[in-house]
Amino acid sequence: MGEHGTLVRVRTQPWLSVLDDTIAACITHHRTDLAGRLETRRSLLLEPKLRVPVIGELNQGKSQLVNALVNANVCAVGDDVTTITPTTVTHSQKPVAALVADVPTSGRRAIGPSNEPTRIPVPVDEVARRALVSTPDVHAEVGLPRELLAAGLVLIDTPALNSTGALRTASTFAALATADAVLMITDATGELCASELDLLKEVTSLCPVVTVVLTKIDIVPRWRKVAERNRARLAAAGLRVKVVPVSASVRLAAAQTGDKQLNEESGFGDLVRTLSQDVLKNGDAIARGATAVLAAQATKELIGPLTTALTEARTGEQGRAQTLYRAAQHRLDELRRRTTRWQTMLSDEVADLISDVEYDLRDRTRKIIRSADEFFDSADPAKTWDDFGEWLREALADTAEVNFAWLVERFQWVAEKIARQVALEEAIPEDVAAEGMLDHVGGLEPPRIEKFTIGQQVFVGLRGSYGGLLMFGLATTIAGMPLINPISLSAGAAFGAKSIWDERSGRLKRRQALAKQTAQRHVDDFFLSYGKASKDTARQVQRKLRDHFQAVVERLQSGIAEQATVAKRAAEAELAERRRRSQEIAAEVDRLAVLHKRIQALVAPAAPRELTA
Amino acid sequence: MTLADRAHAMLREALDLYRDSPRATNWLRHHVDRLAEPLRVAVAGQPEAGKSTLVNSLVGEEIAPLSVEGGRQILTWYRGGMNPRAQVYPVQAPPRDVPAARMGGRLHIDLEGWRSDQLDRVIVDWPARTLRGLTLIDTPGIDSSEVGSRISLDADAVLYLMRQPHSTDVGFLQSLQDHPIAREAPVNSIVVLSRADEVGGGRIDALTSAKQLARRYRTDVGLTGLCQNAIAVSGLLAHAGRTLTEEEMVSLGVLAQAPRRQLETAMVSADRFVGDGVPLRLDSRVRLALLERFGMFGIRLVTTLIRQGFTTVDALSAELVTRSGLAELRESIRQCFTDRHDVLKARSALLALEVVLRMEPRPAARRLVSALEALVVSAHDFRELRLLAALHGGRTTLPDPLADEARRLVGGVGTALPARLGFEREASGHELHDAVSDALRRWQEQAENHALGTGQRRAARVVVRSCEGMVAQLTRI
Ligand SMILES: Nc1nc2c(ncn2[C@@H]2O[C@H](COP(=O)(O)OP(=O)(O)OP(=O)(O)O)[C@@H](O)[C@H]2O)c(=O)[nH]1
Ligand SMILES: Nc1nc2c(ncn2[C@@H]2O[C@H](COP(=O)(O)OP(=O)(O)OP(=O)(O)O)[C@@H](O)[C@H]2O)c(=O)[nH]1
Ligand SMILES: [Mg+2]
Ligand SMILES: [Mg+2]
Repeated sequence: MGEHGTLVRVRTQPWLSVLDDTIAACITHHRTDLAGRLETRRSLLLEPKLRVPVIGELNQGKSQLVNALVNANVCAVGDDVTTITPTTVTHSQKPVAALVADVPTSGRRAIGPSNEPTRIPVPVDEVARRALVSTPDVHAEVGLPRELLAAGLVLIDTPALNSTGALRTASTFAALATADAVLMITDATGELCASELDLLKEVTSLCPVVTVVLTKIDIVPRWRKVAERNRARLAAAGLRVKVVPVSASVRLAAAQTGDKQLNEESGFGDLVRTLSQDVLKNGDAIARGATAVLAAQATKELIGPLTTALTEARTGEQGRAQTLYRAAQHRLDELRRRTTRWQTMLSDEVADLISDVEYDLRDRTRKIIRSADEFFDSADPAKTWDDFGEWLREALADTAEVNFAWLVERFQWVAEKIARQVALEEAIPEDVAAEGMLDHVGGLEPPRIEKFTIGQQVFVGLRGSYGGLLMFGLATTIAGMPLINPISLSAGAAFGAKSIWDERSGRLKRRQALAKQTAQRHVDDFFLSYGKASKDTARQVQRKLRDHFQAVVERLQSGIAEQATVAKRAAEAELAERRRRSQEIAAEVDRLAVLHKRIQALVAPAAPRELTA
Repeated sequence: MTLADRAHAMLREALDLYRDSPRATNWLRHHVDRLAEPLRVAVAGQPEAGKSTLVNSLVGEEIAPLSVEGGRQILTWYRGGMNPRAQVYPVQAPPRDVPAARMGGRLHIDLEGWRSDQLDRVIVDWPARTLRGLTLIDTPGIDSSEVGSRISLDADAVLYLMRQPHSTDVGFLQSLQDHPIAREAPVNSIVVLSRADEVGGGRIDALTSAKQLARRYRTDVGLTGLCQNAIAVSGLLAHAGRTLTEEEMVSLGVLAQAPRRQLETAMVSADRFVGDGVPLRLDSRVRLALLERFGMFGIRLVTTLIRQGFTTVDALSAELVTRSGLAELRESIRQCFTDRHDVLKARSALLALEVVLRMEPRPAARRLVSALEALVVSAHDFRELRLLAALHGGRTTLPDPLADEARRLVGGVGTALPARLGFEREASGHELHDAVSDALRRWQEQAENHALGTGQRRAARVVVRSCEGMVAQLTRI
């Protein structure tokens, strides 16, 4: 065969650049495993050798076929399960053979002297027998000086597929993974069975150049019919595969006697021609086909996760920042809605409070006046006035204290109500309520004006709740209010001392009426002055509360608004990132799609070039 | 009460229990009838395994396969009968007769107008000795699992043909055991290493090699417990042998007398053998006919045999029947199937009963369910089958002379008393009695022998029970 058999593959072959781009893509996408596989295959494709595994089911004549092709008994042939480990037959100047222990492939592309396979040379005429008794992790390598092999052909005899002991098929599939072309062996004693057709479908998807070799035609009178039926079955299964009928026994017999005619009858002439035409002279197409299959597999594996990521980026769940932003906005709206309400609420409540407190005050003072009237119905003011003055002072002071306590209590309640209204779930921050208020606790000085004092107990209950705390903080305001002037009821001011005593008893009635008048006027004075002071206090507290809550709301609002702004910024950034990411993925997918098209163009070179761009 | 009687009684009981269910009643009645019918043996295997050819060779006439237009084969039952007769069973119509006749040792039948999907099966009645007490079922190749379940439903036993152990075959054999009772009464199948003459590509020692392969299959892990025996058979040679004609004998004689070298070159390939280029004094049409009848290996073998002196039809025929493995197969069919006719029948009946109890469970049937379980576990015939399978598959091993004797005593080489006791000739009642007493004593010792493992002692107890059965049988006589 000489020169024409040497395969020259130019570096600028389109398949090579496609393969390299695919490898690069695999590395870009952190799939070094895929890249590694492709690289291994790449180096095999660049070798001027064409690896052709000979596969098939049990006892179909695979080993005998290899022997017959190279005219040497290098593969074990037998009637039972025979081949348990692959035998690789390549070209060499002199016949050589060796048993090679396979390197475990668990480590990742580790290269080093320790990983060199161990190789035990054996005599060529013993290799078949030795392979028969070796372990499955050892394979045989045979070199023979043959024209066919010199052209680059590497034949690989493999263990049977679909037989009962499934363990050995691993090496067959490994050989298929790096196959440039495949010979599928089936004997003529029966038609292709279902499992063989399934196998062929799988193999053609892995390796485009497959030939079915129909063996043992020497013992089957109706082999032509079998070949015909097989072709029909292949066509029906959509498999474009050649069927070449042969007889290894006839070929070997012909070789022994050098009978050319018999050799032609054996069908091996056809088989060798098929091999050199479809395989040896077809190196570029094979490389293209193999690349197409491999690269398509790889790109498919790369595109898969990308498209999932893309759909997720486009339609997937909202990001966290987006969710936070929505929540902040919602809270801000809610706060605004509540703010408009609490102010009206405060004024309404305070108006109610003032009228209630005033009513209470009037009620109480009226009772005091009635008691005074009843007292002076019988008592002579001239004799009892001092005692009466004492009683009246006490009664009024009590009234002021009770009424005032009630006012404070009511305010506490109002403050709480407003606080509830203003407060959102997370409530007013602790410091808003406490700040600047607890300071007054120590220096709290209840007003001491005559008998009227705001009893400690008024304030004692104020510390438990928010409203209480608030009122406690306002204690100074309340305490500092001018309450009532001391009741200055001097007897002299009311009655002329001496003259009174000199009055006749008829004048007692007038004295009593005058005392009643004086007491009433005094109570009215108290009512007016205390009432005003109480109202003023209420207004003042109202103002303070308003200011307080205004501040609280403002602080809340600005807090939430700030949160919202931050969230908004984050959400916008997130959105931008998503957009950028999905654009990036889309671009990546596009790039891979372009690569995929180039890959497909390898096996359909008739397609117009523009399509690949 | 034999096992078959007990199975019969249970079916009757079930019929009473399920009298309100037409489906169950139908099914059970069918199986009551079936108990009285001859044993049904299905011939199964992948396409082109040689099933139809084997049926022909067993019957000794050309009756299989039956196919309709388009070449599709029909499931066919060959039943013994006084006269040739054929009934088609359409899928959706009552059975009807179709014309059938026997001409020159061949079945001629008119299936015109039928499509394979219209026909459930064809039942052929055929006068042949083999078919007395045995119905053979020729099945279309099992490419589909459908045929598999059909076979386990229809047949009492299976001849499973395979050319080499293929994953599909093992799957099929396993599916035959896919039934709780089938597992308890495991083996009802014989594996036939078919087309044995093609082993080794038709080398002259093909049949010897095939026999060795078959021997290996018997203990093959993949087939363990799935078959009772494995036998290499060349259906083609067997059939040719059984139907050898004087005319063929003459033609073969011509070949045998041709100079050796000429014959060798002529037999390099089938093409050469029937081609014009060979200097054989035989018409090419005759050569083609011979090739089709005998195959390449067959021609080689027969010419050699003739040269060795098998020059008469009878002598050659007998030699071919032996060499082809047919004789051995028939013997195995006798031992494994016909001799255990009752057990296999009962097995089918119990399988059928279990189906009803499972498909239509009802409280009233609970007693029957436990009775069925108890029977399957305790029936001594099933125990014998289980022990045989265990010994065969190597799950139970016995030290050397014991293993063979155990196999023999539990009926592994025939269930008749003399066969069990190792007599190859007629033996007197006295001799039999002595032999069984001796065996019983020795195996009772083994059953208590603590040098043996528990599994082995359990096996010994089964043998003891078999011996006791024989003693009872002898005293009854
Ligand atoms: N050499 C040889 N050929 C056989 C033997 N048995 C069958 N054949 C051939 O094998 C082919 C198929 O034989 P069949 O008997 O029809 O096989 P089958 O299993 O019934 O086939 P299907 O019913 O189609 O599944 C035919 O060409 C037979 O001549 C045998 O023992 N030796
Ligand atoms: N007549 C004839 N026999 C053949 C031919 N090819 C192989 N054989 C025989 O078929 C049998 C199986 O051959 P092998 O080559 O061992 O088959 P295999 O497919 O390698 O078998 P395993 O390795 O066991 O799967 C052997 O007995 C061979 O002699 C042929 O072309 N003609
Ligand atoms: Mg092999
Ligand atoms: Mg058939």
